[in-house]
Amino acid sequence: MKLTRRQLLRNGLLLGSAAPLTMAAAWAGQATPSGSPVHGAISLYGVDRSTTELGLGLRQKGWTPHYEGRLDPLALNALPAGTLAAGFTDEAGLVLLTSLLKGRGRILALGRHEAGRHHLLSHRGAVDAGLATEAGSWQSALGREYARLALAGTGKRDEHRFQRPADAGGRELSFLVRV
Amino acid sequence: MSTTQRILPKNVSAADFDAALGRFRETLGADRVLVDDEQLAPYTKIMMSADKEDHIPSAALLAETTEEVQAIVTVCNEARIPLWMIATGKNLGYGSAAPGETGQVILDLSLMNRILEVDPDSCTALVEPGVTYQQLYDYIQEKGYKLWLSVPAPSAVAGPVGNTLDRGVGYTPYGEHFMFQCGMEVVLANGEVVRTGMGGLENSTSWQVFKWGYGPYVDGLFTQSNYGIVTKMGLWLMPEPPAYRPFLIQYPDPEDIEEIVEIMRPLRISQVIPNAVVIAHTLYDVASHRERKEFFTGEGSIDREAIERIKQDEGVGEWNIYAALYGTPEQIEVNWKIVEQAFSKSGKAKLLYGEEAEQASASFGYRSDLMRGNMNMQEFGLYNWRGGGGSMWFAPVSQAKGSETRDQTELAQQILGKYGFDYVGEYIVGWRDMHHIIDLLYNRQDPEETRRAHACFGELVDEFSKRGYGIYRVNTGFMDQVADTYGGAMRELHRTLKQALDPNGILAPGKSGIRL
Repeated sequence: MKLTRRQLLRNGLLLGSAAPLTMAAAWAGQATPSGSPVHGAISLYGVDRSTTELGLGLRQKGWTPHYEGRLDPLALNALPAGTLAAGFTDEAGLVLLTSLLKGRGRILALGRHEAGRHHLLSHRGAVDAGLATEAGSWQSALGREYARLALAGTGKRDEHRFQRPADAGGRELSFLVRV
Repeated sequence: MSTTQRILPKNVSAADFDAALGRFRETLGADRVLVDDEQLAPYTKIMMSADKEDHIPSAALLAETTEEVQAIVTVCNEARIPLWMIATGKNLGYGSAAPGETGQVILDLSLMNRILEVDPDSCTALVEPGVTYQQLYDYIQEKGYKLWLSVPAPSAVAGPVGNTLDRGVGYTPYGEHFMFQCGMEVVLANGEVVRTGMGGLENSTSWQVFKWGYGPYVDGLFTQSNYGIVTKMGLWLMPEPPAYRPFLIQYPDPEDIEEIVEIMRPLRISQVIPNAVVIAHTLYDVASHRERKEFFTGEGSIDREAIERIKQDEGVGEWNIYAALYGTPEQIEVNWKIVEQAFSKSGKAKLLYGEEAEQASASFGYRSDLMRGNMNMQEFGLYNWRGGGGSMWFAPVSQAKGSETRDQTELAQQILGKYGFDYVGEYIVGWRDMHHIIDLLYNRQDPEETRRAHACFGELVDEFSKRGYGIYRVNTGFMDQVADTYGGAMRELHRTLKQALDPNGILAPGKSGIRL
């Protein structure tokens, strides 16, 4: 995460101009069988393959992800109230994101995806999926689970740990929030 | 694991709490009384080594006016509901926005965010607790006032009231924030409103310019305390100087800290260097923009070989001094010669400013911003150094004396090393004192590492205190331990004041170790 406000904005603009083409191509053909999204838009943050896959999972479950580039938590202030947002960020981004949502938003779910394990925290009741990869990547499974939680009613906190291959890459932090 | 039980304030029945929530809703409206888990989740994020189950609020209340705060206090007094007050809630690494104890109700003042006055002639401001530095900065820019703020590292999102009340520091000549505070409005536990200093007079014209008022000076009672709820605060702003020269001095060796502080002290006391200078260790300097794993993947704390490699790769010193000169160009030239002369004697220091400094150090840009009160969030990068979301600021005070600084550094490195953590530390040089600021960064997702961090922090507090080094500010998990180090008589005095001002103990029980 680029950390000065100036850097955040500059970075967001740079990425925003380059990435959506590949993202859009990846999502093409992933619409729901009826051909139209069912649930509405969700802002999607992140810059790498994990974000693409997360978007696929959301789209498979009827959401329309709008790619917003690298997360600038300060920019969330400008989103209309009620906007759903999901994506990946780093530790600094997560600290800032959770802090900025205080009093003005809802944390629906957070995920820590580290070598050897996934740790999902839901504030919308039990987490169902085991992030199984039989039907694709764990990121797309996470997208499908986040899609479900986005529709779930207000629930209690639930934490769940799943195994992840130890060599499955570095630490990634995911989130699903409503501003 | 899931949490399904409703969390009630201690000794308050569900029926009584529901009745109180009803009254809060009458005062604030339903949308400013938060009870859902997903709304309260941001108030449960902690980075300290405590169990998160010990810091969960029963509710959060978003007040917008002093009158609403009064009404809330009245209900809490009747129902014996404990409140935990936060301003902007960005006390990251000291407890963040989470309550001191589970079952407290958060009184979130972030919607009390009016800038009530900025006087460009007297260079003063009067603000509410929810005002952020970014907001005040933008206001000053919009008005075109030639005024500078003094901000802490998470400047844009933090605010002057919360930071000052926790006795935080910045990096300009106004860096000791409480020293530049002037006048408060405080809601007491009985619901009464008191204005400190000159604020008690009807239509006072000097509330924000004369600190002392008449009789005992009480503003300090409302800092790092739980004796009242500050709803307005005055502060002094620095007039923009005609010229500004930030500079960097690098020293290569661990033992150089002694020489640095001996040279720096007279320059600070005489105000040749007027700002709160930072002396950053290699790891603090690099941790704001790089990750640990890039340099070291072994067990335990980062080793000397890796530190030397970082110094080489990044072009940083073992100690990196960030300071600035302010004034007319002529004043700056005169003072620069004094600084140059003082630091050149031993031949070890490398003095840089301007483009040369920017090219030499990746941190110089953001440090230059902080020393003129510009918004900057670079130090959020520290959280990426080790990862895992654990961060606790260990903040002992020292005299600005070389031998003491070296002793503190070595003691900290020894204790941190014993537990396998890195010394990510810096000194912030006041007029005669130094705040030694160490970020104990650890992986909070690893229970064993979290236990180790807890034990390490406790030992730091104990061992520093034994040598006479007091902690000036600490996270909510260690407030009692630190309060103990200042002696039983002081704790009893604090308790006596609490008894007098808040006999039902509803305001932030446990803050700074103070409770009935």
